[in-house]
Amino acid sequence: MTINCRGEELILSKERAIYWPAQKILIISDLHIGKSAHFRKFGIQVPGTVGLTDLQRLTSLMNEYSPETLMVTGDMFHNKINSDADAFLEWRRSYPQLKVVLIKGNHDALKNADYEALGIEVYNKELLLAPFRFIHDKPKEFDEYYNISGHIHPGVVLYGKAKQRLKFPCFYFGKHCAVLPAFSVFTGLAILKPEEGDQLYAITPGKVVAV
Amino acid sequence: MKLTSSKGYKQVITWLKKSKKKPFKFQTDAWQYYAEGYCGLVNAPTGFGKTFSMFLAVVIDELNKKIETEKLTKVSKSKKRKPNGLKLIWITPLRSLAKDLARAMREVCDELELDWMVGVRNGDTPQSEKLKQKKQMPEVLIITPESMHLLLAQKSTFNYFDELQCIVADEWHELIGSKRGVMAELAISRIKGMVNKHHPERLLRIWGISATIGNMEQAMDVLVPYDDVLKTIIKADIEKKIQIKSILPDHIDMLPWAGHLGHKLAHKLLPIIHKSKTTLIFTNTRGQAELWYQTLLAQDETLAGQLAIHHGSIDYELRNWIEEAIHTGVLKAVVCTSSLDLGVDFKPVDTVVQIGSPKGVARFLQRAGRSGHSPYETSKIYFLPTHALELVEAAAIKEAARTQNIESREPVVMAFDTLIQYLVSLAVGDGFDDKQIFFEVKQTHAFRELLPQEWSWIMQFITTGGDSLTAYTEFSKVSKDEDGLWKVESRQIAMRHRLHIGTIVSDAMIKVKYLTGGYVGMVEESFVAKLKPGSSFSLAGRVLEFIMIKDMMAMVRKSKQKTAMSPSWMGGRISLTSNLGAVLRQKYNETLDKQHYDEELDFILPLFERQAKVSHVPKNDEFLIELINTRDGYHFFAYPFEGRQVHEIMAALIAYRLGRLKPISFSIAMNDYGFELLSEQPIPLDEANIKDLFSPKNLTDDIVASINATEMARRKFRDIACISGLVFQGYPGKYVANKHLQSSSALFFNVFSDYDKHNLLLRQAYDEAFFQQIEEPRLAASLHRIQRSKVVIVKAESYTPLCFPIKVDSLRDNMSSEELSQRIERMTAEAEKKNQRRR
Repeated sequence: MTINCRGEELILSKERAIYWPAQKILIISDLHIGKSAHFRKFGIQVPGTVGLTDLQRLTSLMNEYSPETLMVTGDMFHNKINSDADAFLEWRRSYPQLKVVLIKGNHDALKNADYEALGIEVYNKELLLAPFRFIHDKPKEFDEYYNISGHIHPGVVLYGKAKQRLKFPCFYFGKHCAVLPAFSVFTGLAILKPEEGDQLYAITPGKVVAV
Repeated sequence: MKLTSSKGYKQVITWLKKSKKKPFKFQTDAWQYYAEGYCGLVNAPTGFGKTFSMFLAVVIDELNKKIETEKLTKVSKSKKRKPNGLKLIWITPLRSLAKDLARAMREVCDELELDWMVGVRNGDTPQSEKLKQKKQMPEVLIITPESMHLLLAQKSTFNYFDELQCIVADEWHELIGSKRGVMAELAISRIKGMVNKHHPERLLRIWGISATIGNMEQAMDVLVPYDDVLKTIIKADIEKKIQIKSILPDHIDMLPWAGHLGHKLAHKLLPIIHKSKTTLIFTNTRGQAELWYQTLLAQDETLAGQLAIHHGSIDYELRNWIEEAIHTGVLKAVVCTSSLDLGVDFKPVDTVVQIGSPKGVARFLQRAGRSGHSPYETSKIYFLPTHALELVEAAAIKEAARTQNIESREPVVMAFDTLIQYLVSLAVGDGFDDKQIFFEVKQTHAFRELLPQEWSWIMQFITTGGDSLTAYTEFSKVSKDEDGLWKVESRQIAMRHRLHIGTIVSDAMIKVKYLTGGYVGMVEESFVAKLKPGSSFSLAGRVLEFIMIKDMMAMVRKSKQKTAMSPSWMGGRISLTSNLGAVLRQKYNETLDKQHYDEELDFILPLFERQAKVSHVPKNDEFLIELINTRDGYHFFAYPFEGRQVHEIMAALIAYRLGRLKPISFSIAMNDYGFELLSEQPIPLDEANIKDLFSPKNLTDDIVASINATEMARRKFRDIACISGLVFQGYPGKYVANKHLQSSSALFFNVFSDYDKHNLLLRQAYDEAFFQQIEEPRLAASLHRIQRSKVVIVKAESYTPLCFPIKVDSLRDNMSSEELSQRIERMTAEAEKKNQRRR
């Protein structure tokens, strides 16, 4: 689905990503690489295929849009570097031309050297690319930049007649701020209650729909 | 030597005589069998000294042994107490029972001049006491299944059980149907294994004490599955007299058609309270208890100070105080939940009130037994209906009680989650030898059918984190040490595991504390999240003003308001049992025929006449279906009277079969009497196809295809994920700082479904859904019954007295045969319409 945001054309992909054609930037958030391995380290049995699936989805997005830049608005890695990061390194090597930019999130606690080794350009707080500000969590005060963020793993509940109910991850576009859904499949959802003027895009198994 | 001529026996009899008591026959039988080395089950009504049947058996045996050893050794009697070690483990399901049991046992020991200590160990036991027990175990330990596992999760556990003679599972009927029963089975298997290894000559006796249930033989077999021991059931042939009376309003119109509170009848309860010494008022939920407490106080201010409230979310100290006050007779009445269901012997209690349907015969009789506790006294119980149709249930319960039509309790089997938790507990403790433990586990009733490959999957799950193909290097939980024992090395994992031992999964709870200090109790986190500072709620019968959350505690002060909303605690809804359902259908028959002696049925007659006028009252051999069109859509009501659980599946089944006729979406609602399918399209249903729809043919296949088995299993998986240690629920009131390990059971369910289909926990979720939730045999039986029945289809103008309670019930499910995308499109279109209207 293609939308217009502050005069810029943005493509919302059902693979939980935004593509900005004008700048050739693929934007994702909350990738949580290493979350499954992190859980295993603490004795919780999460299948490793979870992380691999995320990378495969990323690959298919690369094939679809051929972006020049991959922008991650936070929580790219889950706490520490572990075996899942090796898989990412391998993936990274297959795209040497790709610029990877990370706006640090609350879970991004890798050493600077680690980011460097993975070829990731790191911004601690935010990155401004008019008309957008890329940031992990939405700022407290708003200015002329439109914020594109992640962090909360937004989800939406659709209600039908006869009290039916369905739950999906979603994109949120508010007055000052957009929130991306979490890219990783191993993440939960925070259900949003939209206010007046907010626009939500639910990600259903087949496509993205405005709700 | 004959038991009756032994010194110990004589000593006990002399002591009993002194207080003008004589043992019942089942008690002396139990003593005799115990002395002969039997294991088994004692079944007797409450109030006839079930406790003494086993406790004194052990005491007599020990007295005799003591006399023997004293004869042999002639030790000089020093004044200093010499501990004997733990002799008897007494498992109770409820913490509140422990204190009173300990008191009763201590009295016996004092009077028999038996130098024994009686200890209690459960979640309420202070740390200092636990440490003391660690140094020296008391002779008798009263314990919950959870605490037994915690004990096994400690180092050098065997020292505790070196002198152990007997394990008693009290109120076994309460444990058998739950995973806590499995916990007890596993703990017993381990303790028996340890005792066997160190003292192969010793006869470790395992006894259960149980109220009457439909499957006594099986209950014994579950507790004592071992073939190499002598087993027996001792049944007391004493009958407990029970008087059941319904509280009726002045007129039927004063009773609502639907509802679950019933407080309109509160004024009728007051004279009963005043007339009695002490009254226990049982409600089905904690929220209901809070409301009733407020209502009663509002209606009669003289009750202030004499009325108390008791339920599981009230602070331990407070509960303690209340129980103490019931004993001393200070309280006139106590509003309570199942927290006071079990065997506590409150002497002053002479009246019991049940508010709302107790859903089962056994539970009702159990509660009735709380009054008139001493032998030969009559138990008096009043039934207060919360809505009109419940009066029929009252009549049905009376009938079932008269004919002793009491439910069976199905034991839980193949609970992999509980087994995984148990194995990790052992690994946290002394470590375990997998061959030995497999042998022990295989002997239990719960895991009799455990296959070697399932066992090895479980071992892999806790050691490598997956199946053999996907062993993960960084996974660490259980590993083999140099002695060849499987152990947990990480202290962090061990600590976290100990915090989460248990199989009762509740929502995250938050402690409620006064600003000035002192705890009130606990409420669910989700409830606190909805509170704004300054808003009031009621807990433990007090109206509290919420101030803030601090250190993961809700800080409150007394509110000036008189009434406030009460928190809702989530809890499983109990379904009507099939025993009661059958009697209920029969009572529907009798009401219109006026062939009965039940005043309840006479009373409800006007409502039935009304139902007969607008629709139809189903007879025993009839099956009623009501079709109603309203603004909400097309309603389809059916009334099999099989209980909520069966209706849930049946509704899904019928929805699926209707969906084969044309693509259609339903939302489903049900209660214990019937179910509703609601759709926005007309439902393709007529006289011709109704019997096909309710046909038992292809039942299994259709169930698999119809119930959103996934959804149902996902619900079951919530508990499984917690019990097996995938998800941490946090201890009630304790905040576990594990943000980086936060996840949800639903997430795990999806992940396993997508990437690890052979996961046994996943299979367990589906199995639980099938056997516990779906109850296929019961469903098939009721479909067969429907086939034999005369189908009556009524097109009603508006909601009828029968369908109204279902309508009000808000527990709903979705069922659809349409494509997901279609549904979404329609839903979004509707949402848009709504938005436009708003603008």
